Amino acid sequence: MANLGRLDWYDLARTTNWTPTYVQEDELFPPQMSGSMGIPMPAWESYDEPYKQTYPEYVRIQREKDAGAYSVKAALERSKMFENADPGWLSVLKAHFGAIARAEYSASTAEARMARFGKAPGMRNMATMGMLDEIRHGQIQLFFPHEHCAKDRQFDWAHKAYDTNEWAILASRHMFDDMMTTRGAVDVALMLTFAFETGFTNMQFLGLAADAAEAGDWTFSNLISSVQTDESRHAQIGGPLVAILIENGKKAEAQKMVDIGIWRAWKLFSVLTGPMMDYYTPLEHRKQSFKEFMLEWIVVQFERSLIDLGLDKPWFWDQFLEELDYQHHGMHLGVWFWRPTVWWNPAAGVSAEERAWLEEKYPGWNATWGTNWDVITDNLLAGKKELSYPETLPVVCNMCQLPINATPGPAWKVRDFPLEYKGRSYHFCSEGCQWCFKQEPERYAGHLSLIDRFLAGMVQPMNLAGGLKYMSLEPGEIGDDAHNYAWVEKIRTDRQKDAA
Amino acid sequence: MTSPSIPPAHDAVMNNKVGPVMRQGELAQAVFEAAEVDNPDKIITIEDKVAYLRIQTDDEMIIKRQTIEEMLGRSFNMNEIELDLASFSGRIDTQVDYIRFYHAKHL
Repeated sequence: MANLGRLDWYDLARTTNWTPTYVQEDELFPPQMSGSMGIPMPAWESYDEPYKQTYPEYVRIQREKDAGAYSVKAALERSKMFENADPGWLSVLKAHFGAIARAEYSASTAEARMARFGKAPGMRNMATMGMLDEIRHGQIQLFFPHEHCAKDRQFDWAHKAYDTNEWAILASRHMFDDMMTTRGAVDVALMLTFAFETGFTNMQFLGLAADAAEAGDWTFSNLISSVQTDESRHAQIGGPLVAILIENGKKAEAQKMVDIGIWRAWKLFSVLTGPMMDYYTPLEHRKQSFKEFMLEWIVVQFERSLIDLGLDKPWFWDQFLEELDYQHHGMHLGVWFWRPTVWWNPAAGVSAEERAWLEEKYPGWNATWGTNWDVITDNLLAGKKELSYPETLPVVCNMCQLPINATPGPAWKVRDFPLEYKGRSYHFCSEGCQWCFKQEPERYAGHLSLIDRFLAGMVQPMNLAGGLKYMSLEPGEIGDDAHNYAWVEKIRTDRQKDAA
Repeated sequence: MTSPSIPPAHDAVMNNKVGPVMRQGELAQAVFEAAEVDNPDKIITIEDKVAYLRIQTDDEMIIKRQTIEEMLGRSFNMNEIELDLASFSGRIDTQVDYIRFYHAKHL
């Protein structure tokens, strides 16, 4: 029997639509689950996925990917990476695994929704593999940190984080639930596979892999870049969908979902990836600044492809570009200041050398963010560590769930974007977050931010101890300065030398 | 080899770069060499980010299975590129004997 080439049978094999006779089409594909916007079935059947893969090939290639990742880990297990790594780098690993590993399972259910309720056969085929990809990502990113749990309890948060009400997890869960677990197949394809995976995951899984390689952590570098080879394939679910939506007069709807996805992803990355790249990664191992990685991946690559597919720049694009210069500096300051409330040890990253680097990458840093760190540094030098901790709660945004902040200094730019909805006052950090809420208020209205919960008396006792208990942060897990304030002593020595 | 610098934010989107972003390794090197052979009229740039190589040209890049085989010195199925294809600029078109990265519109 002659063998057919893959592309000779591919279309036929994955053309799995049929005409239902026992039920109506809407019963087979409930609109709420498929999100198909009334677009007729023949249009969905024209969906042509650009990155084709068949199941037998998929299994063979995935097996090889896993063999590669696990064998690098096995080979380097005795390399004492953990013992020799800078504490700032270990914080990168802890924050990454806690915020990402279990979210991968949510991504798997999102892929499963497209695999079942997508009306385009090609989407269902791609999403079936995508669903298996995300299970792989969940399992492998739980397995890799597990070996460190015995040495450092904070690594237990790789599994624990999403079972808690810790504030960074509230923010992550709010965003991932919005784009992964509570949307129909079409919205998932636009927000998760298109906005998030062709765009932002490159930052966390390739940009950070570049820093990891520089830091000599080949296990992590190899792991996360291997994860991204799956994303690279199944992220292509969104592209042909955009074409169908535009052809059928639904460009505005597609643009809106993509815009919400981009804005929400940006906010989460500003608190997660920004501090990792510009403050936690040891200075000598920083391949590029966070802003440079954002320009490389999100502007030069992702935004360009969005325009090629017939969408427009999001309406907030200028604001987004402006925020690249400052938003993550404020997030970092907040995370370090409220450091007992995270499951990793934030590195301050403000030694003299690091500040010079920040000033070079973000001109004006010293005159703005630097002045806040001056106060913190002076208090620590004077032995007044208690003043380096917060006494009040931040105002957090009712969309991104993150502290509302902007560049400090004479041109104080912090603004609240409030909204009254059905008798309740909501506060947003930006026009972007307020806009997301306005698109579908009922989706978000019932959610209470951590501060709302505190004010409602849900956090008892109403002090730091009660807050830590509410967030499930146990002794040994509570965050503190990554380097145990060694950078302060270095500054003290340098100043004494200068004085002498 | 060149290493293009990143343009200012507002102009950065105005580019026509296409091509694969490969995880570091022998396949990445073979893909880069194949890109030079298979796109003889084009300038292929490579940016080395240690963990990954960004291989790019303007508007369109074709990479043939057979050329990769010659560079690797062994047989190669085109879809095996997925092992190290971590990302790419532009759109993708996967065929049995070649892979193509392109933009439909020139900016």
